[in-house]
Amino acid sequence: MKFKIVFSLLGTLLILFIVIPLFQMMISSDPGELARTALDKDVLRSICLTLRASLWATIIAFIFGVPLAYMLARTCFFGKKIIEGLIDIPVIIPHTAAGIALLMVWGRHSLFTRWTGISIIGTEAAISVGMFFVSVPFLINSAKEAFKLIDVRYEKTAMTLGASYWKTFITVSLPMARKSIISGGIMMWARGISEFGAVVILAYHPMTAPVMIFERFQNFGLSYAVPVTVLLIIISLVIFIILRVIEDRK
Amino acid sequence: MIRIERLRKTFLDFEISDVNIDIRKGEYFVVLGPSGSGKTILLEMIAGLTKPDSGKIYGVKEKGIGLIYQDYMLFPHMNVFNNIAYGLRIKKEEKSKTDISVQAVAEELEITHLLHRSVQTLSGGEKQRTAIARAMVLDPDVYLFDEPTAALDMSTKIKTHRLFMKLHRDHRATIIHVTHDFEEALALGDRIAVLMDGRIIQIDTPEAVFNNPSTRKAADFMGYKNVFSGKIENNKIDIRGNEILTLVQEAKSAYIAIRSSDIFLSKEKILSSARNSFYGKVVKLIQRGSHMEVMIDTGVLFHVDITYSSLREMDIKPGTRLWVTFKTSAVKVFKH
Repeated sequence: MKFKIVFSLLGTLLILFIVIPLFQMMISSDPGELARTALDKDVLRSICLTLRASLWATIIAFIFGVPLAYMLARTCFFGKKIIEGLIDIPVIIPHTAAGIALLMVWGRHSLFTRWTGISIIGTEAAISVGMFFVSVPFLINSAKEAFKLIDVRYEKTAMTLGASYWKTFITVSLPMARKSIISGGIMMWARGISEFGAVVILAYHPMTAPVMIFERFQNFGLSYAVPVTVLLIIISLVIFIILRVIEDRK
Repeated sequence: MIRIERLRKTFLDFEISDVNIDIRKGEYFVVLGPSGSGKTILLEMIAGLTKPDSGKIYGVKEKGIGLIYQDYMLFPHMNVFNNIAYGLRIKKEEKSKTDISVQAVAEELEITHLLHRSVQTLSGGEKQRTAIARAMVLDPDVYLFDEPTAALDMSTKIKTHRLFMKLHRDHRATIIHVTHDFEEALALGDRIAVLMDGRIIQIDTPEAVFNNPSTRKAADFMGYKNVFSGKIENNKIDIRGNEILTLVQEAKSAYIAIRSSDIFLSKEKILSSARNSFYGKVVKLIQRGSHMEVMIDTGVLFHVDITYSSLREMDIKPGTRLWVTFKTSAVKVFKH
């Protein structure tokens, strides 16, 4: 009994640590100001851009990241540990540093821009690139662990029943890992939405919600930043709760 | 016929080597061996799922195999029907034909009432029937069973044995069944291969494998609890003062093994055809479910299986003094 009480108490303290600042911010924001902010086209456009750019990053991560996660879970090859370490780098390094590194590749004077003539800096694509870079480890690691947990004998059984590698992956491995992959996708999307450091270097404009919050705080003070922050938190929270409920029902 | 020739596969700390087996069409062939002896890998090599380092397997058609693992590996995201229909759908069989085939096989295995159940709610026996149905619906030439009864209780196990025999008889299927359970091997196999430490050490009929294990390790595995080593001279081996008579005349170094069910106990020394008789004291009694194991110290520790009624009637308890008797022919000798 004591054991459960101590553990519950420790857990409660941690939850309070997360909830109190959010709650404080909610109650300190003026409802009238919040309503006005919710009708502000610039704010809404900024929040929509944030959600959309992160969604694009997540979709692209599914296409490239899930096969990579499967390979890391199922195969052994020279340098595998290095690749796993590289995937975790975006989590470790400061995100402003990540933004600068990305600028070297995607910036106006980069080789990519010189060869192709295309510059994405200051566009929605640049925002997605920044979000992708810092948040893709969430999806890859979650998918990798999910594939690892699937007993390889399920796949072998499918093969003895006539399935090719492709069919086995699509009909057995992917559906069995689905829940964790989607969960990883949701986490990646959420992480992308909250990204500031890398995005602000690649694209100050068009302005994502975190950049807008920073700008309003810098130029006009706390009272201007809070309504946008609260709105972003409410919208994100509602979307994630809906996604989690849908996922749990499946 | 399936022919396995000089098969070899090496892992970091384990090797399957020099496996040579001929399995006749329609034969029920059992590979018997303890855990970690390489049984599953051998099965996966036969199924074409694991590539051997060297050697050849002839007579196994690709996709003509029904592999059933110990945990059945039913796809948890599909119901029973979809599990059974999986192979047919992969083959792009017409829906109507798939439905008929699944229904037919479900009827044969008496699982029609389970078809729309989630596989996660099935009992062990139901899971196993579903796994067999999933393989059976493709009508494979060869069934590969990987310890399929290991997770089942005794009564389900016996029912499963009947099911395997029926499958073997009715479908004239070749079955390769790996197990660590020698009673199961005896009950099912036309022939048994004993696999130990990655090597086939004996291939023979069940009777021969059980009564004449080819090595000491095989004897141990087969449940021989009285295994001793020594030198045989003039048909005798001296084990700590107990001179045990053997059919083998001379051996510089040998193991002998006596099955605990081949030894009988008496309160008085009796005149019989059994030539080995030793006097000792009961040191321990161990309940073994259907029988009692009596451990008697005669200078050598003998393990003897007796019934509960014998135990009661002879009033055997720790400290009781008894004669331990067995025939010379009950002493299996394994020369080094």
